[in-house]
Amino acid sequence: MAEMDAFDPQLADVNAGDGFNEDAASAGLQPRLWRRLFGYVFVYKRDLVLLGLVAVATALVEAAFPLIAKGVVDDVEASGANAAFALWGLLYLACNLVMAGAVGALIWLSGKIEAFASHDIRAEAFANLQRLSFSYYDRRPTGWLMARLTADCNRLTDILAWAFLDVVWGLTMMLGIAGAMLVMNWRLALVAFVVVPVVGWVSAKFRKRILASARQVRSTNSLITGAYNESIMGVLTTKAFVREKADARDFGKLTKTMYRASVRNLLLAAIYVPIVLLLAALATNLTLVAGGTMLHAGALGIGTLIAFMMLARHFFDPVESIGHWFAEMQMAQAAAERVLSLIDATPEVRDSEQVAQVLAAGQTHSRPPGVAADGGPKRITRIELRGVGFAYEGAKPVLSNIDLGAEMNETIAIVGPTGGGKSTLVNIICRFYEPTTGQVLLDGRDYRERSLHWLQSNLGVVLQNAHVFSGTIRDNIRYGRLTASEEEIEWSAKLAGAHDFIIDMERGYDTEVGEGGGRLSAGQKQLVSFARAILAEPQILVMDEATSSVDTETELKIQQGLKFVLQGRISFVIAHRLSTIRGATRIVVVDGGRIVESGDHATLLTKDGHYAALYRQQSLDEATRRWEAKGEE
Amino acid sequence: MQRRKHHASFGGLWSLTGGQRLRYSCAVAATALSNACMLGAPVIAGHALDVVTEGDFAHALWPLARLTSWLAGGEHVVAYLVVSAVAAVLLVGVDGLLMYLRGRWAAVASEALARRVRDALFLRLHNLPAAFFDDADTGDLVQRCSSDVETVRLFLSSQVVQIGRSLLLVAVMAPLLFMRDARLAALGMCLMPFLLAGAILFFSRVRRRFQIADEAEGALTAVLQENLAGIRVVRAFARQEHEIERFGVRNRAFRDNLYRVNRLEAVYWGLSDFFCMSQIGIVLIAGGMFLAAGSITVGGLFVFVSLVSQVIWPVRRLGEVLTDAGKALVALGRVNHILEAQEESREPTPSIERASGHIVFEEVRAGYKADRAAVVDFSVRIPAGQTVGIVGPPGCGKSTLVRLLLRLYPIHSGRILVDGMDARDVDRRWLRDQVGVVMQDPFLYSRTIAENLRVGRPDAADDEIAAAAREAAIADAIDGFPAGYQTRVGERGATLSGGQRQRLALARALLKDPPILVLDDSLSAVDTGTERRILEALAHRRGRHTTLVIAHRLSSVRDADRILVLERGRLVQDGVHEDLAAAPGPYRRLCEIQGLLDDAIRRDVAGAASTGQTGARNG
Repeated sequence: MAEMDAFDPQLADVNAGDGFNEDAASAGLQPRLWRRLFGYVFVYKRDLVLLGLVAVATALVEAAFPLIAKGVVDDVEASGANAAFALWGLLYLACNLVMAGAVGALIWLSGKIEAFASHDIRAEAFANLQRLSFSYYDRRPTGWLMARLTADCNRLTDILAWAFLDVVWGLTMMLGIAGAMLVMNWRLALVAFVVVPVVGWVSAKFRKRILASARQVRSTNSLITGAYNESIMGVLTTKAFVREKADARDFGKLTKTMYRASVRNLLLAAIYVPIVLLLAALATNLTLVAGGTMLHAGALGIGTLIAFMMLARHFFDPVESIGHWFAEMQMAQAAAERVLSLIDATPEVRDSEQVAQVLAAGQTHSRPPGVAADGGPKRITRIELRGVGFAYEGAKPVLSNIDLGAEMNETIAIVGPTGGGKSTLVNIICRFYEPTTGQVLLDGRDYRERSLHWLQSNLGVVLQNAHVFSGTIRDNIRYGRLTASEEEIEWSAKLAGAHDFIIDMERGYDTEVGEGGGRLSAGQKQLVSFARAILAEPQILVMDEATSSVDTETELKIQQGLKFVLQGRISFVIAHRLSTIRGATRIVVVDGGRIVESGDHATLLTKDGHYAALYRQQSLDEATRRWEAKGEE
Repeated sequence: MQRRKHHASFGGLWSLTGGQRLRYSCAVAATALSNACMLGAPVIAGHALDVVTEGDFAHALWPLARLTSWLAGGEHVVAYLVVSAVAAVLLVGVDGLLMYLRGRWAAVASEALARRVRDALFLRLHNLPAAFFDDADTGDLVQRCSSDVETVRLFLSSQVVQIGRSLLLVAVMAPLLFMRDARLAALGMCLMPFLLAGAILFFSRVRRRFQIADEAEGALTAVLQENLAGIRVVRAFARQEHEIERFGVRNRAFRDNLYRVNRLEAVYWGLSDFFCMSQIGIVLIAGGMFLAAGSITVGGLFVFVSLVSQVIWPVRRLGEVLTDAGKALVALGRVNHILEAQEESREPTPSIERASGHIVFEEVRAGYKADRAAVVDFSVRIPAGQTVGIVGPPGCGKSTLVRLLLRLYPIHSGRILVDGMDARDVDRRWLRDQVGVVMQDPFLYSRTIAENLRVGRPDAADDEIAAAAREAAIADAIDGFPAGYQTRVGERGATLSGGQRQRLALARALLKDPPILVLDDSLSAVDTGTERRILEALAHRRGRHTTLVIAHRLSSVRDADRILVLERGRLVQDGVHEDLAAAPGPYRRLCEIQGLLDDAIRRDVAGAASTGQTGARNG
């Protein structure tokens, strides 16, 4: 887990930030948070009740051991060699068996609750992550999200399961011991209890500090890991700019902080533990003096005194762990808040209430053919953008006043300089974002009145940075349509121009592509993701610079298949390649968030405006690329 | 990279502790003394119990008895109790002090060692040759520096101490018990060896199970990572259900493995608790018999029960800790792999601070792999201040030239001269200081933009930074960020495009104002219009740096003083654009293709115009 964190330098910042937040958030316990989290444990009611009962049993048996000691000593004092050793031995053995079984059961049950509750929280959080919109992911790095579902989740369920156990066990044991002592001799018991408040106070003081410094150690540690990561990734740059000394100096500051925080953490523990031990010794010896005096006066048996001294020592065992959990709960509140906020986050783009109602009602009876689950038509024959504008909250608009229509069998090429809003435009068409002004109409109906899932299952999208998942090439293509046959997969790979490179690979379609497709080149990844989109047989096909890294020869192959691929669909293509653009039904030039030119290839060239200029630049690049390709042969 | 395996032995651990051995020795001494104190307290209490039950001083500890007599003026039982209690509390106090000292010394020693290892690793990573990193996996190296160091640190700071403490506890306890009653002492320790052996056996046997659980967690994390990295694809194909199911499989597998491990632990702790309590039980019942037989006193019984129940728990932990310690040796070996790798050599720094930028390549031959040379017989003289364009197909050795110039990689034969000095005879850092390089896929530090720009010249003023940013045509983009130059690279919401990264890297190199400026295909992601602005800005600087421009686009190199054309590691053409374009050869081919395309465009436009007219007429 820690290693996962390590590879994302961004996460180091996030971690560090959290480290600081946590001190602020640890002002007091927020029962609201814990009540909600405890809900995840409460699902396992039976185990929880059992756990509580066993914890009580354990504590009581543990308190009983010194009483057996008292029994043995008193018996020997009374009857000498005739004492019932066998009986005491059996009693001890019985208690020991109960105790061993109970301890095993405790760990078993708590372990189960821990494993299951964390599973449930993760599952719920993950399911919600799948619902959240692109905009949610724009603002949160992957590493940050991962830490919520891994480290935070583990930490919280650790508290939920083991804190419950320790607190129930500890409190019962303290009560049991106190009860036994009070029954045996209440005066002597009160003497032993004198130090209890002091121990509580000391624990409260120290525990929080120890945990706070442990947190600082952890966050500094992730900064150090981030620094190592960066120094390895950027080794050439560091060398080229002769940054070795400056970097080492900065790093030295980190390791110094780390040294100080770690030593502080260890010193706090080195002070705390002896103080508690000293206080416990004080209690035992107070009992010794008071009890011994009573014994001397004949008011107390030796067995009772021995039992007292043992009980007094054990009495303080749970104080430490209860203090630990109390402090840990305070410190983990920030984590609790983060995890719950992730579970509670609502997607910005989601089905309207009407659509949700129709979908819910529709589950019970089947729809006539040609009608989608949301009651609208299945086919999409026309998309129209009417006055579409888009702006991130508080920022200046990325798109404004876009009017664009496309019919089935049409291909719209979108061109323009980088940062002009092309990708945002297709993201809106796909309803990954919704327009902030204007409408997108599917056959005359606002797409917000249709089901999101229906629209998106009819999309085939090839994104700018083609992402492939780890697994085989076959798995990746099949992602477009999970039920596709082997032939269909191959067919779409051929159309995408991917088939040749795939069968050239050692294991063909069964080649593992590695994490993030690391074993494929950028061009190969694009081909695979193109094949994936073709396999999906979408009604709307969107290609965002889908073949930018593909070599010229393959590009030619793709062109041959493309005509067939585009048939029967509405296609939007963002491309630099002339060949792709030239064949489009209509070309729109997007610059500064507006459509500045639109028309077919010939019309736009005649205009000799933006498009003609772009066309010339692109042809230059293409020429170079061809020349280089030749050089490579 | 050295493939030699780095074995770590206890000898290696010993040499690691150099400089902190005195502290460690003191910590061990403090541990021994503290154990004596800790176990001494119940002994005092035991004697006090005897005194009070017997009512006389027969079993009193001699020094405490003397003290009592002196204070109370006789054999006063209650006074002896008070003296004993005070002595016991004092002893625990002293014990506490010793524990603190032990903790302090061990903490300072182990943390100082860890710090030293961390610093050494970082420095070493910086001084290793670039080739070391070609073969290495970043994740693996980072793991060696982080979790492996942590494993060693944990071993030094807590495990060594725990092992020492447990062993010393037994060592102190054994004579205390044997002096009292050898038979009961033997009985009181009879289960300890089994407990220890059982723990070692258990933990070494279940290590595999723990690994499986760790791997299940790793698999879960991997699925999560995959899903989040590709979340846009998931959404684009509406595959949420499928992903939830896939995650569900791993999530359940992890849950079940975790539960299984927890169950194993439950069985182990239950059993070992039973052993521990049995050991105490044996002492209690047997002690009771001995007490009845009169061979020990009631106080003696108390001492036995107390000592055994204090020592048994650390002994139980010992097995676990010893098993863990094995991991520390493995980790140390992995750390040593980096610490013992060969560093870059060091040469003297030349007396001149700033070179003029005169570069000569003489018969240079070099390559990353011995059997395949990336650059062959490369000879060229570049006078100071000249702008040189370098073109050629991918893999022809253009970028290799830059790396050779920076001495990031060694040359096999020939030599490279900078200002007449053989690059191999001058300090690499000096050499690299003379060069400002912009790479195709530049690396930016996760710091603010201003800090990234200052990398080349830490003392640059704000207006100088802004000027460099303007020259690199990135100033507007930076001003567009909410935090401007203080925006952190890679932070949420401020991700930079490829072109922006390249331009930032260019600004960084320009700010450095080096005698030699190298642009290694560093405008590839910049659109043509912006490229022109940048080239114009660079033209203003002409003569200030010797400039090497490696490019794919003809437009980037056309105006250079001179153009070098490379093919398969060899220099095949060298001259100005006009001459090269006139002579037959690869450069002219490039121009021709481009010329043909220009013609095609002209034709296209003309054609479009006529059809447009036709269309208009028809309409």
